[in-house]
Amino acid sequence: MRTVYALLLLLFPSGFRRKYRAELFAAFDDEMTDPRHAGASGRLRLWRYLARDLVASAARQRWSAAVSAARRLSGRGEPELPRQQRRRFMETLAQDTRYAFRQFVRRPGFAAVAVVSLALAIGGNSLIFGLLDGFVFHPFPYPQPDRFISVGVTFPKMSPETTYIEALSPAEYADVKRGTSFTHLGAFDLGNRNISGGDVPERVFTALLLDDLFPVVGMRPLLGRGFSKEELASNGPPAAIISHRLWQSRFGGDPGILSRSIRIGGQAASIVGVMPAGLVLIGTDLWIPWGGDLVQVPRNVRPFTIIGRLAPAATLASANAELSTIAAQVQQSHILEFKEYEGWRLTATPWATALLQDVRLAAYVLLGAVGLVLLIACANLTNLMLARSTTRHRELAVRLALGAARWRIARQLLTESMLMAFAGAAAGLAIAYIGLRFSDALIPAQFARLDLKAGLNMRVLGWSALLAACTGLLVAVLPALQATRTDPHESLKSDGRTGQGKAGSRVRQTLIVAEIALSVVLLLGAGLLMRSFVNLQRADLGFSPNGLLTMRLTLPQQKYGSGEAIVAFFEELSRRVQNIPGVTATSMVSQFPPLGFFSSQIEVDGMQASGSMLPTANTTIASREYFKTLQLSIVKGRAFGVEDTPEAPRRVIVNQAFVFRYLSSRDPLSTRMRMVGRGGPGQWTEIVGVVSDARNNGAGMPVRPEVFIPMEQGRDAWNQLFLIVRSDRDGTALVPSIRAAVASIDPEQPVYAIQTMEEAVALSSFQERISAMLLGIFATLALVLAAVGIYGVMSYSVSARTQEIGVRMAIGAEQTHVLRLVLMQVMKLAAIGLVVGVGLLLVAGKALSQLLFGVKPADPLTIFGVTLTLGAVALLAAWAPAWRASRVDPIVALRYE
Amino acid sequence: MRKRAEDPRKPLSLPVIHILLALAEGARHGYAIKQDVEERTGGAIRLGPGTLYEAIQRLLDGGLIEEGAADDEPANGQVAQRRYYALTARGWDVLREELRRLGAILDHARANPRLRKGLV
Repeated sequence: MRTVYALLLLLFPSGFRRKYRAELFAAFDDEMTDPRHAGASGRLRLWRYLARDLVASAARQRWSAAVSAARRLSGRGEPELPRQQRRRFMETLAQDTRYAFRQFVRRPGFAAVAVVSLALAIGGNSLIFGLLDGFVFHPFPYPQPDRFISVGVTFPKMSPETTYIEALSPAEYADVKRGTSFTHLGAFDLGNRNISGGDVPERVFTALLLDDLFPVVGMRPLLGRGFSKEELASNGPPAAIISHRLWQSRFGGDPGILSRSIRIGGQAASIVGVMPAGLVLIGTDLWIPWGGDLVQVPRNVRPFTIIGRLAPAATLASANAELSTIAAQVQQSHILEFKEYEGWRLTATPWATALLQDVRLAAYVLLGAVGLVLLIACANLTNLMLARSTTRHRELAVRLALGAARWRIARQLLTESMLMAFAGAAAGLAIAYIGLRFSDALIPAQFARLDLKAGLNMRVLGWSALLAACTGLLVAVLPALQATRTDPHESLKSDGRTGQGKAGSRVRQTLIVAEIALSVVLLLGAGLLMRSFVNLQRADLGFSPNGLLTMRLTLPQQKYGSGEAIVAFFEELSRRVQNIPGVTATSMVSQFPPLGFFSSQIEVDGMQASGSMLPTANTTIASREYFKTLQLSIVKGRAFGVEDTPEAPRRVIVNQAFVFRYLSSRDPLSTRMRMVGRGGPGQWTEIVGVVSDARNNGAGMPVRPEVFIPMEQGRDAWNQLFLIVRSDRDGTALVPSIRAAVASIDPEQPVYAIQTMEEAVALSSFQERISAMLLGIFATLALVLAAVGIYGVMSYSVSARTQEIGVRMAIGAEQTHVLRLVLMQVMKLAAIGLVVGVGLLLVAGKALSQLLFGVKPADPLTIFGVTLTLGAVALLAAWAPAWRASRVDPIVALRYE
Repeated sequence: MRKRAEDPRKPLSLPVIHILLALAEGARHGYAIKQDVEERTGGAIRLGPGTLYEAIQRLLDGGLIEEGAADDEPANGQVAQRRYYALTARGWDVLREELRRLGAILDHARANPRLRKGLV
């Protein structure tokens, strides 16, 4: 650790470093012992902070040292007044800029190649940064978003994952409220509600609140107010707050909205507030008080998401410390009743991080990838400038001989590269602007409802400007070094041809190797992501998604009060849908693959819960025809039948993963199991069948144990089921007839979340698809840039070696020999680049492997494919210069000598 | 940069004001200054080691502070290594002048009713 710090200190001028060395180290030790910087994430924060601080202040010191050194060098001993200084600076700048423009106009091809490649590279960076800024880094409009916290929970006995959404019970919320880390806390349960009172019944995504959320999110309602204490109390007066979107779409933005009421599930509630536009809470459109009696809810019923605003005196670390104390107290008092409390943890995490934890890694990989593209563009540009500065050698030598200061020439080159970089950035921003306007098209409908917007904001502009400045600097370094090392005496004496020498060509070749290596990294990354996406697509889901259509129905409790009424409705619907031409099977289910959300703790009769985890399984209510509809096979026993009535003994069917995980060698058909739910274990139930596995935890993840409950026996727990229809034709064409079938039973019943199974499967691999696609685009861009680079360097090298080639041909070399000579040189560079690139990727492989499915970073097929592609592109790029070399007329070449 | 610290008519930067304020309470070593400033600003101004010693160097050059003896005796070897800094007479003058200037700005702002309402 101290070594890294010592290395960072090397950035400072030596005088400063010598004087404050001990102090700086002591300060470092103090920072290390600061409790804020404990733990891995604390350490990471500390290093980020130290790096930023040290680099910035070292840069300032170096700058002022450089300024005074430059002043000494330019022989201006006596200090100028600041105003004069500034004017002279501006004059020089204007002069340099004019000169740079003239250079560009004289060689428009050079400037065009430079600006276009920078535009593509910087534009790509701005676009990706804009997308990530809008969707991942700063997705929400809340003030001080870092202090807007979500409380997550981990039950190591159940699962190693930390969950934030619908993760905690009201009793646990009360526990969290005992702490002092938060000024405001709120909790909400998510649900869907039918609203009516207009022309069409509508189903809206709803948050049911335990406390007023406006102080937590830090925003005020646009109209009206938040909920009062009375409204939030159990059985309080019905009240509702609606989203800006709902206000506009359903009420036409009526300014008198606060005097109106809304019918929610058939019950009138007065509208007390309208949320501001852009305030989104996981896409909810309606906020209502939860309204139940909290004391009735057992500790292990956990439908609530807890959010809070950090108190001014608290930090994330102090809040976490307090939460772990609370968790320990709860564990002590409740462990006997609720086993999952063993080792449980409560964690405070900024809301955006908690919501988007899965995407962040992919986001950083993309940002890194597009950064590599910019690096390649920089290397290209450096090469172009180096090549050009050798032809400008004499010009620079003359200027030096006439007494120009070396830093003045370096500054001229810097002005040129900065001008190109900013011109490229400006064009790049145009590309990014267009790209961001179309970014909505990339977002699947389920995310679009979050109302996230990506656009060119100040952060994106700032980032682009920063990149442009870095590019300008980076590109100018090597040419400036080369120019200032010029010895005017030697240069003017020679004929200008030998000016570059061996060292210069080695620099250029190294840059080419670096470009190739970076392209290889991108190509490999893109190839691997594409392969894992294809693997995901081809992954055996365990069922056939073709021809399946899914949709959701929720029967309002007021109308369908009993389980019998609910089952009767669904049975009737099933019968009518079955009669639609084309339908081959139809069934009802509470959740379906490739995802599953509902699970519970289970117990198997006569088996001790061994190991560190409590057994859990997905619990799914399914109608008789479900397995047939999905084409899952019954491996043992039987499917559900008409005999599984509510009066019959409880029966379940389990999947193969369940048998494998929890029953080992026992016969499932003679084993009983039960679910542990609200207020303790349920009845013992008989396992009557084993069904084949279907991916129920994402296409790329292992199958989770699953328990199926017959719809008739689970009827009292569910009023919300998916209708799944298999047909022999395009599923979406059936939607109108299915809607008609629903309306013929109950005209007020909405149908929603209509999706073909293929869409559902595609959505579950959305992130993989978009990562593979973007990385593919970057890799192509990188390859094009690298090809341009190879072409440029080889053209230059061939023209510089014209005499040598002429001599070779004069003494008998054939055209094919010369062709091979040049091409071999390129292939050598490509081979080195390939090896370095593969090496780099394998080093970075660990981060990447988390994003891969069914393929390892060292995938021979991908490496082989990349080798072929790269070889072909390198040959193509070098072909024209090589051909030109082979056509050198020895007489012309030698006469020049 | 150096000019700014030397010339009392130029406004001081915010971190510099906070460093001087910290030293106005007595001689401090570097890390104590940092902690003082962070505490007073509720963490809004964080002085990293680089920024801190850069500012100290500049203030030393400008003659606003000097290396001095500690108010309290160092307890162990590690602390004994540390340099303590104190305000010079010139430092006191510059700080007072700066605070007067800031006060004048505040008075001016308070006289404007639109600003007082928190608008504009």
